[in-house]
Amino acid sequence: MIEIPELAFGGLAAGTVSALALGSGLWRSRRERARLRQEMTGLRHQAERSARAGAEEAERIRQAFTAELEHLAARRMPAEASRTAHPHVPVPGPVGPEGAATEPVLEALRTAVLQERKRVDAAARAGMRGTTREIQASLYRLQDILHGLQQRYDEPELAQDLYSLDHENEQSLRRAQVAAVVCGAWVGLAREESHLVDAVTGGQARLSGYRRVKLHNHLDPGTALVSHAVEPVAIIAAELLDNALRHSSPDTSVVVNLEHVHNGVAVTVDDAGVGMAPDERAAAQRVVAGTDPIMFSDLGDPPRMGLAAIGQLTRQFDLSVDLSTPSPYGGVRAVLLVDKHLLSHVDPALRPAAASTSPSTRTGEVPRPEPLAEHAGHTHAPAPQPVAGGSREADTHQPVSGTTEPVSGTTEPVSGTTEPAPGPARPEPAAGELPRRRRRQVSPDQAAMIRPSAAEAAAPARSPEETAAALGALQSATAAARDAARPEGTPPR
Amino acid sequence: MRSHRSGRPLVPAYLSTSGVARPSRNSLERLSVLTSTAGPVFGDLPAAQHALLQSLEGGSLTVVEAAALLRLPVSAVRVLAAALIDQGLVTARPPVPPAAQPDHDLLKRVADGLRALKL
Repeated sequence: MIEIPELAFGGLAAGTVSALALGSGLWRSRRERARLRQEMTGLRHQAERSARAGAEEAERIRQAFTAELEHLAARRMPAEASRTAHPHVPVPGPVGPEGAATEPVLEALRTAVLQERKRVDAAARAGMRGTTREIQASLYRLQDILHGLQQRYDEPELAQDLYSLDHENEQSLRRAQVAAVVCGAWVGLAREESHLVDAVTGGQARLSGYRRVKLHNHLDPGTALVSHAVEPVAIIAAELLDNALRHSSPDTSVVVNLEHVHNGVAVTVDDAGVGMAPDERAAAQRVVAGTDPIMFSDLGDPPRMGLAAIGQLTRQFDLSVDLSTPSPYGGVRAVLLVDKHLLSHVDPALRPAAASTSPSTRTGEVPRPEPLAEHAGHTHAPAPQPVAGGSREADTHQPVSGTTEPVSGTTEPVSGTTEPAPGPARPEPAAGELPRRRRRQVSPDQAAMIRPSAAEAAAPARSPEETAAALGALQSATAAARDAARPEGTPPR
Repeated sequence: MRSHRSGRPLVPAYLSTSGVARPSRNSLERLSVLTSTAGPVFGDLPAAQHALLQSLEGGSLTVVEAAALLRLPVSAVRVLAAALIDQGLVTARPPVPPAAQPDHDLLKRVADGLRALKL
């Protein structure tokens, strides 16, 4: 019987224990929930705070970016666009650090503007090139006509007008040609190998102030340019001279010197003008060097084409022009250097330089053409003359006789202002022969003028010169005889 | 023969006379004969006058001949020759009209006479 209460007690105890346990668990879980709830509200607050801060930040960034874009559109892009034409224009930087992202925009803009500029420039040059080429061709045709007229008509008044027209035409031609060259065209004229002094003088003739140019030719006779360099050198010389003439006073002269240098020939143009400031000179030197491509739109209005054309030609033809030193005359010194590989040699005997070009100051050895020696034999000169000797030397070898000079003594001009140099002694004529007016022994380069070609050996026995000399001698003899018959003091004719 | 120069001349004619086409004297004709009276030393002459004087070194030339030799128009040579005549460096003789040209026989007789004088 005792087992029942024990059982009940045990049951009760177990119930109490479990109730206790359950109660404490319940209490714990309730506390946990409260803590969680608290934590949640904390987190929610935190999240709300940060969300608010984030929105503010986003708004700030948005505003900064808008400002950056406005700055880009209003300031930086126009500056960048104008900087392609004017490199000195400063491009403002971004407002804030956010602007770093706009750099590629500017980069792309720069490329696009530059390409467009090149395209427009090329189009303008192409149009100009086509026009100037046609003008140039028609001016050459006009020149041909004018030269024909000059040959045909020699009436002074008409000739004067023809000269003026020719000169005007040369100047127009120069301008058209320079414009064409700046536009990337070929110089427009093929020439044969020519004397360098011809090319420079030809350039001189294309200017209105050509009378002010004093050319000193210190080159060996026959120094020439290869055919493709002739016209470029003429153009460069014309432009350098034009600058010199334009920037110096009309009563000063522009001095040109042609000299041999180690690497070729130097053409030095000195003017006594106002000169250039160092930065101007540096800018001109850059243009003339021809390293930068020419932009038509950089040349200004009216376009200054001279230096640009020089730059174009120096690049194309491997010439070099230096403007970096001031002239000792106070103005600008321009030096055109023609390299050796552009030089050649033209026989001055076969093809003398143009009559208007300054004669060379060098009296170097010129190979004497064969027929001359033969000719010397005709005129009773000792045949085996040393070739190097000039006319005087040759004559001093001859027997001296003062008696046989009737001609030079009597046909002197009445003016008497210029004392003719004492004539070389004449040889005694052979017995039974009239005193003859002899051809003077000529120096090689003079001979070149008179007796041009070695190929003339096969010419008829009596050349026109000989005939002229013979007839001239006869005439002078007649004149001398008549004069002798007159009373002393009567002026001849 | 002189190798004929092809192509257009580099140096125009007006440069030879500095643009002057009116000679200082009008006596020169195409066939006037120019003769140099100066020695081989020329002073400070313009280049083209110098060239003309040089071309006369070997004897006399008519105006047209000098023009052909110097490759200049006759008008330019006239100006150059007139300038040289003014300076007394060149004399000019007018061309002989055909009718006034001496008889060949007469010349021969004159030559004979001169020879006889000399001997």
